[in-house]
Amino acid sequence: MDHGTPFLRVAGVTKIFEAEDASHAPIQVIDNVSMDLTAGELAVYLGPSGCGKTTLMRIVGGLETATHGEVFLAGRKVTGPDRQKGMVFQAYTSFPWLTVLENIRFGTKYRTDINGAEKDEIARHYLDLVGLAEFANFYVNRISGGMRQRVAIARTLAAGPDILLMDEPFGALDAQTREFLQYQLLEINRVEKKAVIFVTHDVEEAVFLADRIFMFSARPATIIEEITVGDYISGERTMTTKETEAFFHLRNHVRDLMRDQARATEETLAAALRPEEAGE
Amino acid sequence: MSSGRSDLMLGVCAFIGFIGLWSLISQFELVPQRFLPLPWKVVSALYGMLVERNFIEDIWISVARVWSAFLLSVVMAVPIGMWMSNYRIVGTLIEPIVDFIRYLPVPALVPLLIIWFGIGEASKIAVLWMGTFFQLVLLIADDTKRVPREFIEIGYTLGAKPRQITRDIVLKSMLPSMIDNLRITLGWCWTWIIVAEIVAANSGIGHAIWSMRRFVKTPEVMAGILTVGIIGLVTDQAIRLLHRRYFRYL
Repeated sequence: MDHGTPFLRVAGVTKIFEAEDASHAPIQVIDNVSMDLTAGELAVYLGPSGCGKTTLMRIVGGLETATHGEVFLAGRKVTGPDRQKGMVFQAYTSFPWLTVLENIRFGTKYRTDINGAEKDEIARHYLDLVGLAEFANFYVNRISGGMRQRVAIARTLAAGPDILLMDEPFGALDAQTREFLQYQLLEINRVEKKAVIFVTHDVEEAVFLADRIFMFSARPATIIEEITVGDYISGERTMTTKETEAFFHLRNHVRDLMRDQARATEETLAAALRPEEAGE
Repeated sequence: MSSGRSDLMLGVCAFIGFIGLWSLISQFELVPQRFLPLPWKVVSALYGMLVERNFIEDIWISVARVWSAFLLSVVMAVPIGMWMSNYRIVGTLIEPIVDFIRYLPVPALVPLLIIWFGIGEASKIAVLWMGTFFQLVLLIADDTKRVPREFIEIGYTLGAKPRQITRDIVLKSMLPSMIDNLRITLGWCWTWIIVAEIVAANSGIGHAIWSMRRFVKTPEVMAGILTVGIIGLVTDQAIRLLHRRYFRYL
């Protein structure tokens, strides 16, 4: 892996949400987080629910602005959302008024670097890549949730982004579909060699997918540990990787870290509730 | 679909049953025929009005009034409703006024609108507009709000500009429910046009109904009402049909 100029640089990002009205205190969600990513690397943001990892991903995507700090992608400062930063959400975002193929082609709609014929070709290419050729002319609410997420991934890839930002994209799917899509994502990543940030709170998913895991603390989010998975699990990830001893050990280690943070989250919540009880 | 066909059969049966019941009540004078004429008398009254009294002209006048006022409402309500939902400041400014006016009963406004606009076409359009615009604008704002935020964010990350997002994503996403709301609002127009034409007009279906009342021509009065019903039914079914055709993905 090339460790020269980082492809993505998150430099000292802090995020504070101002409350809607004056009676509530502002909430700090991210506390001075820095991280780098090389091109083609798959990073997982892992942390307890509500810790701020999604917010950090949205800042990288330009959908939120950092209160302090900056993000640079391919040497340019991130100032807002654009085609360079593709997103896949947990909620189904494929458009119901379009078919599978039309949805994927929609990803190319605002590209000016290619012509119509090339757009058709790209749409076909990603349709095949996610294995939905048979369903090309189906409307998306006629297909399963797992397929809808594949449509969303293909559409995002068709836009030709530099980085893929995925916010718990498999969170709403059943275990089997989830496992299948994790595997498919690794394959896509091998073919496309795109940088990916994948947000999840699922330890097994994180260990299976990641080149590097960024373990986040409870809110406000800081990175408490950075794990290069390749140091523990060697070779290509396959369907049987999850059954190896190395996977097992690393998963247990990461799970213990997660438990500590989940406990911290609960303690914070309990502390927040206590003064209210006393006041009544 | 077989369930669709049997639904249609049930609808037709219920309609025939209704006409049958009406005929029986009228035939045996459970209600005097002066008040409830036989169904075929209503139909022949309608025929007579069309042939002898140029009723078709009244129909066209009412249809034209309804559609011009309705389209005016739509053209104004769609962009304003979308603005209300997209820009909080617009919503905050407009919503209290809209909410106030929308609770005013339209018939109460008729005298005022006649003072302002006279008894010509302008006052009819104004009545219909008052009765639909303020309801429609809130319905459109609601439809806009229901477009998932993720759809819009996806638009930005695919490189779309705000105007392209409005055209290619927001409008497309809200269109089915918007068309439904337009269909319902168009129905209200028919209520208000009859009110307006009864109060002050010398043409239109409402005027025809009202002038027949003066001579207690019950079959003709009912024929006028029937006409409104038929126009409403046909328009409604036509829009529903288009809805099913165009939004096949639903």
